[in-house]
Amino acid sequence: MKKRKRLLLLGDIIGMVSAIVIFVFPFLFMFINSLKDRREANLLSMALPKEFLWENYKKVFEANNYIVLTAFKNSFLLTVLSVLGLIIVCSMAGYVLQRRKDRTMSIVNFVIMTGLMIPPAILPTIWVMQGLHVYRTLFGMVMVEIALQIPFDVMLYRGFIGTIPVELEEAGYIDGCKRASLFGKIIFPLLKPVTATVIILNAVGIFNDFTNPLYFLPGSKNATVQLTLYNFMGQYSNSYNLLFADVILITVPMLIVFIIFNKRIVDGMVAGSVKG
Amino acid sequence: MNKKKIYSTWFLAPAMLIFLIFFIIPMITSLFFSMTVWDFKNFTFVGLDNFKMFFSERSLNIGIKNTLIYAVLTSGLKVILAFLIAVFLSSAIRTKNIIRSIVFFPNLVSTIAIGITFTAFMHPSKGIFNKVIEFFGGTGIDWLGNINLALFSVIATDVWKGVSIATVIYVAGIASIDKTFYEAASIDGASGWQRLKSITIPLCRPAMNSVIILSFIGGMRSFDLIWAMTGGGPGFATDVMASIVYKQYAAGFYGLSTAGNVIMFVLIAVLAFPLQKFLLSKEVD
Amino acid sequence: MKFRKVTALLLAAALAAGSLAGCGSGKSAEDDSAEAKKVENEVNKTASGEEVTLTMLIDNGTEPDGYEAVLALAEEKLGIHVDVEIRPGGDEGDNIVKTRLASGDMADLCIYNSGSLLSALNPSEYFIDMTDSSVASTFDEAFTKAASVDGVLYGVPFGSSSAGGVMYNKEVYEKYNLEVPETWDEFIANCDVLKEAGENALIGSFGESWTAQVPYLADNFAVLQKEPDFPEGFTAGTKKYATSEAGLRSWQKLAATTPYYNKDYLATNYNDACDMLVNGEGAHYIMLTMALRNIYSLYGDEVNKIGFFPIPGDTPEETGLTVWAAGAIYGNKNTDKVDDIKRFMEFWVSDEAIDAYVEKVLPDGPYHNGYQLPDTAYDAVKVDMQKYFDEGKTALALEFLTPVKGANCPAICQELGSGQTTPEEAAAAYDEDCKKQAVQLGLDWK
Repeated sequence: MKKRKRLLLLGDIIGMVSAIVIFVFPFLFMFINSLKDRREANLLSMALPKEFLWENYKKVFEANNYIVLTAFKNSFLLTVLSVLGLIIVCSMAGYVLQRRKDRTMSIVNFVIMTGLMIPPAILPTIWVMQGLHVYRTLFGMVMVEIALQIPFDVMLYRGFIGTIPVELEEAGYIDGCKRASLFGKIIFPLLKPVTATVIILNAVGIFNDFTNPLYFLPGSKNATVQLTLYNFMGQYSNSYNLLFADVILITVPMLIVFIIFNKRIVDGMVAGSVKG
Repeated sequence: MNKKKIYSTWFLAPAMLIFLIFFIIPMITSLFFSMTVWDFKNFTFVGLDNFKMFFSERSLNIGIKNTLIYAVLTSGLKVILAFLIAVFLSSAIRTKNIIRSIVFFPNLVSTIAIGITFTAFMHPSKGIFNKVIEFFGGTGIDWLGNINLALFSVIATDVWKGVSIATVIYVAGIASIDKTFYEAASIDGASGWQRLKSITIPLCRPAMNSVIILSFIGGMRSFDLIWAMTGGGPGFATDVMASIVYKQYAAGFYGLSTAGNVIMFVLIAVLAFPLQKFLLSKEVD
Repeated sequence: MKFRKVTALLLAAALAAGSLAGCGSGKSAEDDSAEAKKVENEVNKTASGEEVTLTMLIDNGTEPDGYEAVLALAEEKLGIHVDVEIRPGGDEGDNIVKTRLASGDMADLCIYNSGSLLSALNPSEYFIDMTDSSVASTFDEAFTKAASVDGVLYGVPFGSSSAGGVMYNKEVYEKYNLEVPETWDEFIANCDVLKEAGENALIGSFGESWTAQVPYLADNFAVLQKEPDFPEGFTAGTKKYATSEAGLRSWQKLAATTPYYNKDYLATNYNDACDMLVNGEGAHYIMLTMALRNIYSLYGDEVNKIGFFPIPGDTPEETGLTVWAAGAIYGNKNTDKVDDIKRFMEFWVSDEAIDAYVEKVLPDGPYHNGYQLPDTAYDAVKVDMQKYFDEGKTALALEFLTPVKGANCPAICQELGSGQTTPEEAAAAYDEDCKKQAVQLGLDWK
């Protein structure tokens, strides 16, 4: 037993050290360089700044008429609405797709799989959105984000539902549960771990999405956080210090969301094991 | 029991409706536009000329080769590395939650920022990587400038960034395995390796399949990191299908680029559907 | 059911917490900005009875100092307030401009290249016809040609003209007693001297592929000396780079530069290169004169350490200046503010507006409307460049003489310059690449 404990401690140490070296180091690099002046940052070194220029962060906020603030608001709305929509529509779809194995379902499966493969057709999408008068609206953007993530999320839910025994539902059905409450009461609560995964992955993915808002939600009032990187990434005038400061700034919210939901995954897992 | 009754098709409706309007319809229209010279307002029908022109693209051969290398290597590495990390994180070590969070870190940052940072690390004279190599007495490597190496440098970065998603999927999969299996196994005196081989691997098969398919397809159509790090260069050395299509799109050759999209779709479908079929057939038994 | 509710609540709470934390640090800044807006609006009202607001789409490569000064002046003099939207440059930038035009979502004012890139936009659909504007007659022929498609003028110059050629560090030249070369062979001889002395004879910034095309593009004066009708033939599809001796020579020159670059030229970017040049870490940098602006903004008067000469031809007669026409401001005709847009565009090229601009950002070359270069202008512009204008030894770059420009030009040049292909292969690849553009433009190429 003692040997086992020592082994675990060794695992702890090796795991922590390698994780920090491999995965944290680059962020340290960004952070250090975000506090330098332009020339110093341009040397791309790990050395501490000669002088800590905290005002770089202020500059980032002030750039382009405080566009960073507008961008934060837009990105949050876009992310929250899209993720909520995705959880609802994809858990339902994944459920039915996993449980029913008939012709219709394999066609639907096929169609959804194509969505994983084909890069979206941007101009025709704009054309459709204009026809529906949702181009350049938050609603339209949310719909596009949902449409693009549906294949991935449905697949996640479908895969996860495969590990839930069917007997539960059959029992519920015999007890006279309605279809909707069968799903809502019995299945959905069991999906917590995968829902936490979906939340994190999609929140991060949509919050960090760069190209889609560029096409489907143009206009300075509609800017999202990733677009603010362009303020500091000129073709003719890179400023690494401000660029990294902006990167750090727009990563912080995701870090917070992640820290909170990271716990949720663990809770979900604990709940799952208690249930067994 | 009537399956159709419990599992109503209506559950599918919201997802399918959104998917249809904002993805499938644009895609079908794009099939038509791939046979035109198009500037959004006006188009001229040219039949299969775009496809001919796309196939005569000089960098196409290298693009297809790179796409396959990229997809196979990134997905292969993610499948293996993420599994090892996930098993490690599902053990009894105390710091597993912290480590899992740390591994997820890169995923919180946008691809462009990652690309810029690693391009900086890989700078041949100023970059940290070469500084470290030189510190230990080696000679620096031109990570992104050497045309034989550049693609692999980007692949390594992609794995670094993307391994966390695969890890999360595995962790979720392993966590959903009924703990009683393990209890039974340890009563039977099974070793750690035996438990891994006969419980963990088979029972997290669905998770593994998701990882394989997602990272393979993701690798086939991905180019954002390549774009941020090399722009397809030096020259065309790191071009992939998606970057060729994107460049044509950016140049305003909408018809031509759409034709490239169609070809790319066919290529992916030819590889991915059989792969998925194979994996699902394994999952059933 | 309870379970799900709890989950949902937690989700909502967590997200709310996340968003509060994300914005918390910026609270006071938000208030400031609101206040600033208010003040701005009041100024607006006093300047003119009514408020007009236009939007302007501009790339992130243009220093804001210059245009912000002019915009402030426009607000004061015209009562027009302009909201700036920043877009990326390069491929992404082209893509955004095209997408927004095509989807009917262009800003009121669009800053974009003149020349072949303009003809790729199909401007008659989108931009205001400026042919009969009061300022049209003040522009020189070069700009009028570059900003017109089918004889209709669409833009007014955003800034000054510029040129492509060799920028060199005068101190390094003095140190090695070098003379400004008049022929290509002399230039290579200079490079050899520097290389042997262990200097970086040429600074390459291939880390940004667009910079790799300058040695080829800036050689157009020499091409036109040998073959004056090359652009017409090229547009018609009868002349090709691969089969024209004059055209092929440009690619050979680009290939000849390969041995002289700094060791890490494939990773060096434009900014690094400017730093290296002014600090004497390299002797030559083949670039557009807009690099002076960058150097000036970072190093001030040290910019006058930099001299300039064109890409030398094979004989002194073939050595002349390849000029880039200014980018332009185009007005969106599909709005109800056409009159205000035109008023703004005419104001933009007035002397007082240019005065305000030049005070912040010095010109890269002569202006297209005869605006007098200020005394403070860089020596490289005032002396080295002006010389060729005075002698009449200038020619526009090819992209202003033909609507065809291959989209892969940067990559093809990068490939050649890094020694992956031969000049013949690169020229043939470029011809092939241009064919796609020709098809898109509806030209009859075989």
